[in-house]
Formats: sequence, C-alpha cells, structure tokens
Amino acid sequence: MVVNYNSHSYCCMKDYFRRKIMPGRQFRIDEYRIEEEPYYLPTGDELAIAEAAYEDGAPLLLKGPTGCGKTRFMQYLAWRLARPLITVSCHDDLSTSDLVGRYLIRSGEAVWTDGPLTMAVRAGAICYLDEIVEARKDTTVVIHPLADDRRQLPIEKRGELLTAPPEFMLTVSYNPGYQSVLKDLKASTRQRFIALSFDYPNQEKEIEIVCREGGVEMDLARPLVKLAVMTRALKDSGLPEGASTRLLIQTGKLVSRGIPIKTACRAAISEALTDDHELLGALDEMVSSLF
Amino acid sequence: MDLEILKEKFYELVAPSLPNEWDVEEALSPLASEKEARVDDVFSQVPAIWPVSHSLCFAYLSAAGPALIHLAPEELSLWVHTLLDRYEKGGLRSAQLFMADVERHFVRHLRGQGGLQFGEVSGRLQPYVNGLAGRELVLVSSEYAFTNTECIFLPREIGLFSKNEENFLLYKLIVSFQWATIKAGMFTTPPFLSAVESDLPPLEIFFSQFADPGTARSLYHFFETSRVLIFLQDELPGLMRKASFLLPHLPLSGDSAATTTLLDRLQQGLLRDTWSVEKKSRVDDRAIALLRRCQRKEADNQTSLNAVSELMPLLADDEDCSKTEPLIFQGLLRLQDVRNAQLKQRKEREIQFIQALTAHLKNFSQQPDAEKVDKSGEKSAAAGHQGQDVAVIVETDKVTEQKVQPLTSVRIDNQEIPLSEELIELARQIKDDIGTLPDNYISSAAGQAGEGYSATNPAVPADDQGATGPIVYDEWDYRRKGYRKNWCVITEKEIPQVQSSFIEQTLIKYRGQIRRLRHQFELMQTNEHFVRRQRDGNDIDLDAMVESLADIQAGRPPSDRLFIRLAREQRDIAVYFLVDMSNSTEGWVGKAIKESLVLICEAMEVLNDRYGIYGFSGMRRLRCELFPVKRLDEPYSLAVRQRIGAIGPKEYTRMAPAIRHMTSMFAKVEAKIRLLIILSDGKPEDYDDYKGEYAIEDTRHALLEAKAKGIHPFCITIDRQAHDYMAHMYGEVNYIFIDKVSRLPARMPEIYRTLTS
Repeated sequence: MVVNYNSHSYCCMKDYFRRKIMPGRQFRIDEYRIEEEPYYLPTGDELAIAEAAYEDGAPLLLKGPTGCGKTRFMQYLAWRLARPLITVSCHDDLSTSDLVGRYLIRSGEAVWTDGPLTMAVRAGAICYLDEIVEARKDTTVVIHPLADDRRQLPIEKRGELLTAPPEFMLTVSYNPGYQSVLKDLKASTRQRFIALSFDYPNQEKEIEIVCREGGVEMDLARPLVKLAVMTRALKDSGLPEGASTRLLIQTGKLVSRGIPIKTACRAAISEALTDDHELLGALDEMVSSLF
Repeated sequence: MDLEILKEKFYELVAPSLPNEWDVEEALSPLASEKEARVDDVFSQVPAIWPVSHSLCFAYLSAAGPALIHLAPEELSLWVHTLLDRYEKGGLRSAQLFMADVERHFVRHLRGQGGLQFGEVSGRLQPYVNGLAGRELVLVSSEYAFTNTECIFLPREIGLFSKNEENFLLYKLIVSFQWATIKAGMFTTPPFLSAVESDLPPLEIFFSQFADPGTARSLYHFFETSRVLIFLQDELPGLMRKASFLLPHLPLSGDSAATTTLLDRLQQGLLRDTWSVEKKSRVDDRAIALLRRCQRKEADNQTSLNAVSELMPLLADDEDCSKTEPLIFQGLLRLQDVRNAQLKQRKEREIQFIQALTAHLKNFSQQPDAEKVDKSGEKSAAAGHQGQDVAVIVETDKVTEQKVQPLTSVRIDNQEIPLSEELIELARQIKDDIGTLPDNYISSAAGQAGEGYSATNPAVPADDQGATGPIVYDEWDYRRKGYRKNWCVITEKEIPQVQSSFIEQTLIKYRGQIRRLRHQFELMQTNEHFVRRQRDGNDIDLDAMVESLADIQAGRPPSDRLFIRLAREQRDIAVYFLVDMSNSTEGWVGKAIKESLVLICEAMEVLNDRYGIYGFSGMRRLRCELFPVKRLDEPYSLAVRQRIGAIGPKEYTRMAPAIRHMTSMFAKVEAKIRLLIILSDGKPEDYDDYKGEYAIEDTRHALLEAKAKGIHPFCITIDRQAHDYMAHMYGEVNYIFIDKVSRLPARMPEIYRTLTS
C-alpha cells in the first residue's frame, strides 16, 4: 500500500497528525510494502538503469509529462526490489520539518516524530519525492547530503546524523513541461541524480496498457489512444499537455462501468484537459469523429 | 427632401472636413427622394463611418437608400457595424459587395437563415485539424475546397442545408477529407514517376500522356476520393457514420445535366448507391469494378493510377469527365500548388538545416576539447582557426547509404561530428523527402561555420534595448460600439539621457522625506515572520505549551494550538508607471511628476518589487510614442536617472494606445499582482478628433481591457478640480485626484504603499 503524505490541504495534514498523535496508531514501515505486483509495461531500459542505480546507491530523477507512468514505475521498482515505498507529494508549503520530522506534543510531553524522509532512511526504504519542483527551494536542499556519496541525513533539531543503509534509495520526479522559470530544478540539485526520461509509451504499448488497466477491448483502446495522440499534437494550439495514459485508463474504466463512450471521453478527457470553449469544441469534434 | 438641405446637414455632420461638393452631391442624390425620418436614420450613422473612410461613407450613402427597403430602422446600426467590420477586414471592395446584397449578406443571417461562415467554424476546426494532422495545418477561407499539404482551403460559406449543424458537419467533413488526402497519400509520387525530371508535378506528367488529361485527372481524383473515403471510415468511423446521412443529399452536377458523363454516374453511385441499371454499359461495368478495386484496404494511389490507365482507352471520344463538377468535399485537385508547397518546404528545411548545422559546428569547434584535437590532428585546428582558406572535405556517414538507421553524425575534414537531436530530426525529414542528405547542405554549413569563426569579433547579441518596430492596436469607437481595427500605431522611442543637476537637487530637497520613505518601505518588505499558536508548524510554541500544561493542571481543557509556524509572504508584484508627457504638463506639473518619480524609485529600491517606467505622448493615431525610462528588470542606474531628468513635455495625450501597449507588455510578465499606475493631468486629447466623449470612452475601454487581463490600473490625476468624467473613465475607486501639484511627490510613494499592502 502506498500512503501519500499529500498535504495539499491542511485537512490532510491534520489527518496525518491525528493519526500520528493517536496512541497506538503509528505508521509502521511494513504498511509501505507493496505486496502485489503492480502492472508495469517497460518501454525501454529504464528498469535496468534504475536497478543499477539502486545497487550503486545513486539517487534517481524521473522526468516526464503527467500521467505517463512515473509513479507506477516507482511502485513496480519497489516491488521488484522488495523495499517499502514512501511517497511524498511535494507542494509549495512543504517545509524541511515536514520531510525530516518534528517534535510533537503528546500527553504533556514533547515527542520527536520522524518525517517520511527520516523514516525511509532508518528503515532502508525507497523515498519518492513526487513533483519535487513544487517544493520550496530551501526544502529541496535538505536532500543534498543524502543524494551524493555521503548518503547522510542530518537531523538538526535532535543533533543526530543518520547514515543511510545500502537499501535506502532516494528518487524524485518532476515534469519539465511546465516551462516556468520558477519551476525549474536548481543545477546543484539536478546534478546529483541519475536521470530517467519518461514519455508516453508508443501506440501499441499504450493500447496494451489501456486494455489491461482500463479493462476495455482492443477495439475501444485503439481509438482512445488515437484520440490521445491527437490531443498531444495540440501543443501549439493552446493545449499545454495532451491526454495522458492515466486519463485514457480512467476513460476506459468509466466505459467498462457502463458510461457511453462519448460521455466518458467528455468527462474524463475533454473537460479534464481544458476550459477553453473552442478547444473543448475541437476535442468534441475529435471524439465524435473517432467513435 | 431637398438636396440642398441634405448637403447642409451632411456638411454639419462631417465638419470640420470639407469634402468635394460634387462627391457629396453624387452620394446624396439617391437619398433626396427619401422621407425625412429615414434620411435622419441614415445620417445618424455618418459620424461612425466618416472618420474610418470617406469613400466608404460616400458608398454607404449611395447604398443606404435601397438597403433600407430590407432593413428595419433599428437594424440599421447593426448593419453599419457589420459593414465597418467588413471594410476593415477586406477593404472597400468587400464592403461594397456586402452592401450590394443586403438580403443575402445580412438579413438572412439576422433571421438565422444564412449559411455557416468560415469565420464561425475555423476557431473550432483549426485545433481539430491540428490534432488530426499532428502539426499545424492552417485553415484558409477561399472560393473552393482544396489543399496544398500545408494549408487547407475551405469555402467561405456553406449554406447547402437549412440546419447549421448539417452545414457544420459538411465543413468538418471537408476538413477531415482534405487532411485524409494528404495522410492517405493522394499526392505521393509513384515510384515509376519519381525518376522523371520535369517542372511539372509528377502526377501531371502522368495525366499528360492521355489525349484528354482533364478527364484523366478527374477520374484519378474520383478513384482516389473513393479510396480516401474508405480510409476515413477506418480512421474516423464516428464522422463517417454521421456523414452517411449527409452524403446522399449533396448536390451533383449530374442531377441537372441532360446527359450524364461516366463520372456523373460514378458520383451518383458512390454517394447514393443508385447504380443506374438501365443505362449500364460495358464501360460503366468496368469502371465500377475498378472503383471496387480502389476501395480495397491494400489499395494505394498506384491502384487509382492503374485504374485510370485501364479506363481511359475504353472511353468514348466525346466523353469529357472534366465537365463534371467535383464533389463539394472533394474540392479541387491542385497538384501545382502541392508541388510549390513541397518545394518551398524543401527550401525551408535546407536553410534550417544549414543554419542549425552551422551553429552546431561553431559550438563544436569552440569546445576546448583536447581529445578532439588529438584525434583530428592539425587539419581540424586549421579548419577551426583559419577559416576561408581551408578545404572542407565532406563525406556523409556510411550509415546514410543503408537508409535504415537515422543519420547521427557527419564527417567534415575526416572528423566525426555527432549531430544534435534537432539536426537528426531535420536530417530525417530531408531524407524522407528527397531520399538522401545532399552533400552541399553540409559543405555550405561547414563553410559558413568556418567564416563565422575566423571573424575576430563574436556575433553581437541582438540589441533589444533599441527602439522597437511599430505595433498596432485597435481603438474603441463608442458610436459604433465596436473597435476600429489596427487603428493606432505605437512606436517605442529611446529617450535621450541628459546630464543635469535635477536628480541631485531633488535628492537634497526631499532628503528627510526619502529617509522616512525608505524606512516605511523597508517595513513592507518583511516576507518572513513567525505565526504563533498554530495547530501545526515547524516548532513548538513554548508559551502556548506552558499555558496548556497549566490548563491541564487546573483541569481546564487545554488548547491544541501549540506550534509556531514560519509564514512567508512573497511580494510577487510587478508595476509599470505610465507617465503623461503631453504638452500640458509643461512647467510645475512636469517637474512634480519627475520629482515624484525620483522619490518612488528611491523608495522602491529597498523593495524587491519589479517596476518599470514609461512615458507616453504623440500626435495622431499613427504616431503614438512610448518612451521607456526604465524597463521592468533594468536596474535603477545612472542611465535611468538621466532619462528621468530628460522627461519633458512633448505633444498630445492619446492615453489608450499606451495603456493597451502596457497591457500587452504585462502579458509577458509573471507576477501575482500586476499594477499599472498612470500619472496624468486632465483629459485624454489628441490633435485629430480624438477628444471629448470619444477619447474618454476609448480610455475607459482600454482600462477595462487591462482589468480583464488581470491588471490593476490606478490613475493619479493632477488637475485643478475634480471632474465628473474621472469616475466614469477610471472607475470609482481606481483613481486619486490631486489638486496641489506640490503635494504629488510626497503623495505618490504613499499611494503606492497603500495600493500594495
């Protein structure tokens, strides 16, 4: 099971603390283990590179558009390596304490609680920082000593210096497509990683994935993938990102639950991609042409 | 009405211009027989048209009388509005055509009976076809439908069906079909023609071998069409399912003709499935069999060519299939256009490749790479450093010959130079097109790279600080409730730097104030502060914790707000100051404005807000000038101070184009808050008839446009007394009025502070 420390909103954050604070309710590292084999269709030599990086203790950087399978790849890798996977979704208010840990008050006492990164280092797990560019620049710096040959995590508040066991692996991901000056990775951060570039799988593989994950027939998966390819060509026409494999799978799932295909495309693809009236119209025309 | 009275009225309307009397007389004479109320209606539109174009106005007056037969009086202003749009898009001729047929061009649309216009569908279909093609395939309106593989030309209007949904479907079918002709390879050169050297398009050579090339071409086009329709059925089944209701209702030229040609009968058969039984001849049977062959899955355009070759000898001599109109979605087959587009593309790719390779080679030779010198020896060093007098030995990689792997490197001077990804892609496209990468592409790039390198001075980066070219903006005309298209021309002009003691004097004069301002502005700068008593945070709030422990001891419910959090506020602000440099600011006003600019700059320096200062003035719509005093990310340098010193009264106050220009400049700025502060005195005014209500409404509109783009405009206006129009023009809360000029320098930073905190 993968638990996201997704604290985009404070209610998630609160939830996290409540669970932490509640007596007897500590996350155990075993909860992060992936029991069943996740479905992943390799598209190149990414697996070999990732495993070699793991053996060498090198951190990994995954880049690629949204929904092309970065997270799924991590799950698959963790399952292959039989390591727990701790995922942190980064956001612009993520502080160092959110990663490393902090003192919490419990029944009148201040108790240290490990953050996800510290927990991963202690347990020799894989720590996956999703969308690392979203995190504040000063926060990303804490991973620097972990990401080079020192493999250390200083916990200043406790005066502790953790050295990562060989099983620990740090991976980060980001989407270079946003092309904003503000959302770029610092060179000093970037140059510590072995980088794997992800893209949408080629048509045949994508059809296979949509069939398998979305639970639809080939006859439906094929035009769905065709539609996705069309939307990805609209980069210069005002659609920054085309339909991802994930959206196709979601559409497939809607269809296999009995939603008519055009409605499913509208809900899961067109409306998800844009608010622009004319682009929506064009997407609708594509859907009505294909199905 | 009497012509004399009409003339008098007209001159009153267009004053102060004095058009030729005979022109006026000629234009007004058709109106002389109209009733007075009608003439008044017609004349009421003159102020909107006259400033746009005098000849259009005369044409309007001549046409208005007959037009009123079709129009209700309240429809007249809408008609004029559309007329002006037509004029600005297509010129006088287009406007005259529009006026000539009121019924067809206007009234029917008003009643919702008109056909569908290209303009109404292009917004939706353009991204659609881009998606289909995976590249930009521009839609252009034209007389007929056709494509040259770079653009798809579509009819201006489709009014074939009574329902616009069906008209739209036809538009969509045309677009999809034209795309499919490219995709399915209607224009590909078959192998047996590729070796022929000729100026004609290869397919045209094929047709010319028949006695009647026109018929051959039409037949080829038809066979290909049937093949493309099958391709579409496979590719876009949804579209073809819908279109299947439409196709039988398309008009065919065979419907009205007395005698039908073979092609007519084939068209009828293909679209309506009515293979006429009684007239079936041997030729028809054969043609149908060939048609079936072209519709097979494995068919390509070679199949259609074969079909034409087989059918042509069987045709009767008087059988002229080129008389038959092509199907409406099929459009025209314009092979020469296709060829021209291909040649143009080839040329563009060549230039692109040479440029990219030149740049690549330059980079490559500039890398201080010891290994490279070792490998290539002195020869490469010579190529790099002596330039022109070196022999470039060009040899494309051996891989090229195999045509399987993409070309990844080129050899120049026995040196293997790996290509960048961009170049590999370009080389692939070129090879797809002509089969091989011509040697001269590489040699000319190598030559250019050598020259560029040997030149002692490195390429000077483009100077973007200089005056930019003219940019045009629309202007709002309140009388026609619409924009005058491309009306004003904005030019950015450099302001000369002047050495003067002005800045020093100001700094001394306001030194106390500046010190205070800096302090005040420093306070605004705080972007990090601790927030106490939070439910979660970075650290424990000890005070809160002690309190809560005490509460527990006392048996009261403790608070759970025990943490301290470091909150950051990012002042992500970008500001442009737009300064009125019109003649009226001469004297005290101008000086106060300049002083306040110095003060605000001094204060802004302690903040991290980005700010720019621009002055504006000009005369008439074609010479609106903008003077950059400080660009957005330019430091507050000596040059900027000297430019502030050089600000002086120039000409008139046409404020709206300057506002529109700032709005478009803001579009490139990424900031949370975008503020446009305008410093001006009095009303907007220009030398021509840009004054009064017109100017106020235009300025108001420019400000509304800015607001719509997420910019906060704020105006500081210096005047002796407040006017009613100010609230209307700037918006109730978006301006401040200052009557004592001397107070401006002190007030301005204060205003900025309240605006941004």
